[in-house]
Amino acid sequence: MKNKNSLLHRLILQTIGHEKRQHYMIPIFTILLSLIFGILVIALLGKNPLQAYYNLLQGSGLAPKASYAGHKGMITDFTSFLNALTPMLFAALAVLIALKAGLFNIGVSGQMLAAGFTATVLIGYSDLPAVIAKPLVVLIGFIIGALAGALVGFLKHRFNINEVVSTIMFNYIFQYVISFLINTFYVDPVSRQSANVKQAGRLTLVDVVVGDYKMDIPLGILVAVAGIAVTAFVLGRTTLGFEIKAVGSSIRAAEYAGIRVGRTRVLAMMLSGGFAGLAGVTYYLGYFASIQPKVLVSTGYDAIAVALLGNSSPIGIIFSSFLITVISKGSTYMSSTSGVQAEIASAITGIILLFSACGAYVKYKVNRWKDMKEEM
Amino acid sequence: MNTIIIDGLSFALPLFIMAIGGIYCERSGITNLAIEGLQGFGAFCGALFAVCIAQYFAGNSPVPFYLAMLFAFLGGMLFSLLHAMLCIRFKANQVISGVVINILAMALTEFLTKQINASIFGAASNKFVLGVSARITVPVLSKIPVLGAVFTNLYPFEIVIALIALIAWYVLYQTRFGLHLRACGDNPHAVDAAGIEVSRVRLVAVMASGALSGLGGICFAYSISANFSSNIYSGYGYLAIAALIFGNWKIMPTLGACLLFGFARSGGYELVKFLEMPSSYQDLVMVLPYVLTLLMLIFFSKKNHAPKALGEIYDKGAR
Amino acid sequence: MSDYIIEMNHITKRFPGIVANDDVSIQIRKGEIYALLGENGAGKSTLMSMLFGMYEPDEGEIIIRGDKVKIQSPNHATKLNIGMVHQHFKLVSNYTIAENIIMGMEPVKKTLGLFPAVDLKKANQDILELSRKFGLEVDPTKVIEQINVSMQQRVEILKMLYREAEILIFDEPTAVLTPQEIEFLLEIIRSLQGDGKTIILITHKLEEIKKIADRCAILCRGKLIDVLDVATTDTKTMANLMVGREVSFTVDKPDPKFGREVLRVEHLTVKNEDKYEVVRDVTFSVREGEIFVVAGVSGNGQIELADAIAGLMKPSNGTITLNGVDITSYSIRRRNLAGISYIPEDRHNVGLVMDFTLSDNLALKSYFEEPFSLKGVVRPEEFTKYGDTLIEKYDIRSSQGNDTIVRSMSGGNQQKAIIAREIELDSPLTIFVQPTRGLDIGAIENIHKQIVTERNKGKAILLISLELDEVMNLADTIGVIYNGAIQKIADARTLTPSEVGEFMMGVGGKHA
Repeated sequence: MKNKNSLLHRLILQTIGHEKRQHYMIPIFTILLSLIFGILVIALLGKNPLQAYYNLLQGSGLAPKASYAGHKGMITDFTSFLNALTPMLFAALAVLIALKAGLFNIGVSGQMLAAGFTATVLIGYSDLPAVIAKPLVVLIGFIIGALAGALVGFLKHRFNINEVVSTIMFNYIFQYVISFLINTFYVDPVSRQSANVKQAGRLTLVDVVVGDYKMDIPLGILVAVAGIAVTAFVLGRTTLGFEIKAVGSSIRAAEYAGIRVGRTRVLAMMLSGGFAGLAGVTYYLGYFASIQPKVLVSTGYDAIAVALLGNSSPIGIIFSSFLITVISKGSTYMSSTSGVQAEIASAITGIILLFSACGAYVKYKVNRWKDMKEEM
Repeated sequence: MNTIIIDGLSFALPLFIMAIGGIYCERSGITNLAIEGLQGFGAFCGALFAVCIAQYFAGNSPVPFYLAMLFAFLGGMLFSLLHAMLCIRFKANQVISGVVINILAMALTEFLTKQINASIFGAASNKFVLGVSARITVPVLSKIPVLGAVFTNLYPFEIVIALIALIAWYVLYQTRFGLHLRACGDNPHAVDAAGIEVSRVRLVAVMASGALSGLGGICFAYSISANFSSNIYSGYGYLAIAALIFGNWKIMPTLGACLLFGFARSGGYELVKFLEMPSSYQDLVMVLPYVLTLLMLIFFSKKNHAPKALGEIYDKGAR
Repeated sequence: MSDYIIEMNHITKRFPGIVANDDVSIQIRKGEIYALLGENGAGKSTLMSMLFGMYEPDEGEIIIRGDKVKIQSPNHATKLNIGMVHQHFKLVSNYTIAENIIMGMEPVKKTLGLFPAVDLKKANQDILELSRKFGLEVDPTKVIEQINVSMQQRVEILKMLYREAEILIFDEPTAVLTPQEIEFLLEIIRSLQGDGKTIILITHKLEEIKKIADRCAILCRGKLIDVLDVATTDTKTMANLMVGREVSFTVDKPDPKFGREVLRVEHLTVKNEDKYEVVRDVTFSVREGEIFVVAGVSGNGQIELADAIAGLMKPSNGTITLNGVDITSYSIRRRNLAGISYIPEDRHNVGLVMDFTLSDNLALKSYFEEPFSLKGVVRPEEFTKYGDTLIEKYDIRSSQGNDTIVRSMSGGNQQKAIIAREIELDSPLTIFVQPTRGLDIGAIENIHKQIVTERNKGKAILLISLELDEVMNLADTIGVIYNGAIQKIADARTLTPSEVGEFMMGVGGKHA
């Protein structure tokens, strides 16, 4: 450690050395590193990286495009972006609550599918009027997701089955069983997907005419914002939140304090699954109106990135899901305009995720440096 | 009946070799959820190499296939270094690291496949077409009633896998390295005190896991899917994990689990065909291994013993 | 050329925030038993870890057999014929004794004349011979999980001998043993000395040093205080040097005033995970204003007894009555509310949520009640208020007060936080399990005073202790536990320390 006072060292200490600021400085550091990585790759491909990044913003309705089709504009792009953001927010909440209880919910995608499919079949194809259908879709989404989550929690509590293993198993079980059901009973022969749900049950209002624009208005985003507020409140200000965090930090200490560990875990998984269910209905009966058989959406996995990047805080995930959605949603436009393959978006997301997995180590290392410096 | 054995084996063996990799990794104390990503990335490397050299060989030459296996082996090993770095060097949460590797592998190979197809082969395609590997039938042995099916219509990779599995078994249970590796998963401090570098043993274990996963991946690419595309990520890696948990982190019982999965699958397909049901019923067959795993875990989870130090971050200083 | 086999000169080792060894110099002769005496945290283990190559000193030099060496790894130490039995055994639980001993130095054979493999047959044979040679008989094919602690220690010693160690370091070897096992171990150490080995013994137990050591180095707060000839020094002098001041072994305690019975335990039996009876048919009671001490050697069921009363383990038989109410089937929470405070043995994993703040930990058992929360909604301002009061009252020191993450606090202050929380619950019964373990003398005195104060207020105290001094100082009533069963219950004033000691070994009262 000869270069203890090198410039880089000092720079790092000054930016992310401060303990109070670390909880947002480290994720920002991570993102910057990943974006720089992205710039290098795009430049290597012989494209203009800044142009490509700007395209991402344009595609998400955060910057104006050069030209728009009829009845389209930046605002319609933005509402469409919000439409994609909604399921991501819910999915990230699902991962987050489980993480707080020390559980790893890899089954968000499967829970989304189960909830989305059930709501599609029960309400999506029914003739109920919109005022009844929409709330019912939300309710069913939450309940089915919560049941799927609670089952995982129960298996962990009763049989000590690792939740990572069981959620992966359930992902495939849901995927294949629902694929079978769709192909056998609900398939649209042309699209090879499930038949579209009726407008009454859909959580996104499609082609609403506002002034000169025709836009998609995602009603779910309001529920998502409410969901974030509720989560923040539950975790920060309720005894249940206190118990969830205690169980997540130390099972034995929680038990000693008189907390019922099994019950708390099942409850946490139930909430987690419930949010995953809401992600499912806002995805399959909002952003889309049908289900593609044999496919698990990547939202559930991306949500892990979002939750980690958001530093496992409900407010943090607003920012991180915003970022990840900009990258994924804007990638189509980027691909068509700058010619960079759209798939680079998920590669960048992956890199962000890779770096954020090292976050704890960076924090540990930086604090060690600081301790050594103070000693000198 | 013969078809069930032939197809079952050709599915079970690649699964088995990936599971052996997983056993190496987990017995050394590193949780490995990354098998899915490792097999995909390995298959990608192998497939890419095969496509690149295909023009130099005759259409029916087996050489590209063997080279693809070698490169898949190396590719998986290379990518597993990421998992090793995160888990050993950066002391990251091993579950998170595994999930990260999977997401990254999927994103990266999908992007690279398209990019390479576009810029090198000038085609807008998201796959590398490989075709199905030729099959061989062992004379004499294949004539044995019932069991003869084991030696009929074999993919060459099945023989390679059987050989490697034998070596892997020997190394794990008979050699000094194997002794050290299994000790790392139970009490790394004991290994350290015996003057053996824990992180080096674990590094080798993770790399072995990557290499074997890559090998398994390319075998699936050359049999079930006949090409490399994102379809390679359809859960074989997770199934391998299920198999090794099922097999209680031991090689022979894990072989049993893989064979069970393989025969359940091929048997189910045959049943669907036999009963002349529509092909969508095959999806129900696909569910079988996962349901089986869950049920077995419910009944046997008490008897299952994961390696003691599995997933624990090893810190030399801490006692 | 000196006649010393080991010389460690001017050794200094720093860790973040602490100087573990400060200019320490020791010289050890070949063939002697050399003891390192000091309290927890005095720097004994650190010094020996450097000799064993686990750390490198920041300053100073190490000379082995006249050669200056830089010991970079345990491997290197082994090559220099240095071996160490660690306080926490380093054994692979699912391996056989032989596999554990040979690990790293396995005999190799060639399978089919070609492939290298571990030769277990030869290993078993070698170890059988080795164990006979040194009188440490073991069955090499037994699995570690199935043998007891004393046998495991034997395996650790054989591990050193297998590596032909000449210098043997023992780190607190008697902490986990019963008195007979200790006697036997000391025998072994003496006979190893007879075989020409040099032995270094790390300990804080004066009697052991007096029994077998030739010389003794005393460390205090990282500094070498003195090196004494054991034969010519009395234990009192050693004790004073060890703690750095005059030790008063007594606590001021007025005569007891017993009130009604608070806790009654009847025919309590507890089984562990392996269905083994760790507590057998235990019956006793504790009254108001009484300190009831359960004395015993570690591992005789006292922890499980405390856990069963607090509800952390389920008894298989018997009843627990608190203030006349049968609480045997109560949950942990209900027991807390019914009036049990519990200071557990393991403060890191059980007593505290290490990643929570200090104020959250101080409210860990009352967060669900008013005023901390109302209808399930917590009130952070009440946590802060309560935290401030307790920090002040119990002098809990930390870097950021209420908001400090307890993981970053010192062991003594962590223990203060637990004791503050449990005493403030104002429960009629408080259970203390080894409350002073690993703390320095000042903190120990403080905790002893608190325990006596609570007792004087009329609380019932159940204290579980392994230290005979602590037992004799604090107890009103002593219950000695051995092998899960209570051997003797008596008024503390009627028992001498040696009588208690005999009961702890399971041999008490037989010749009376």
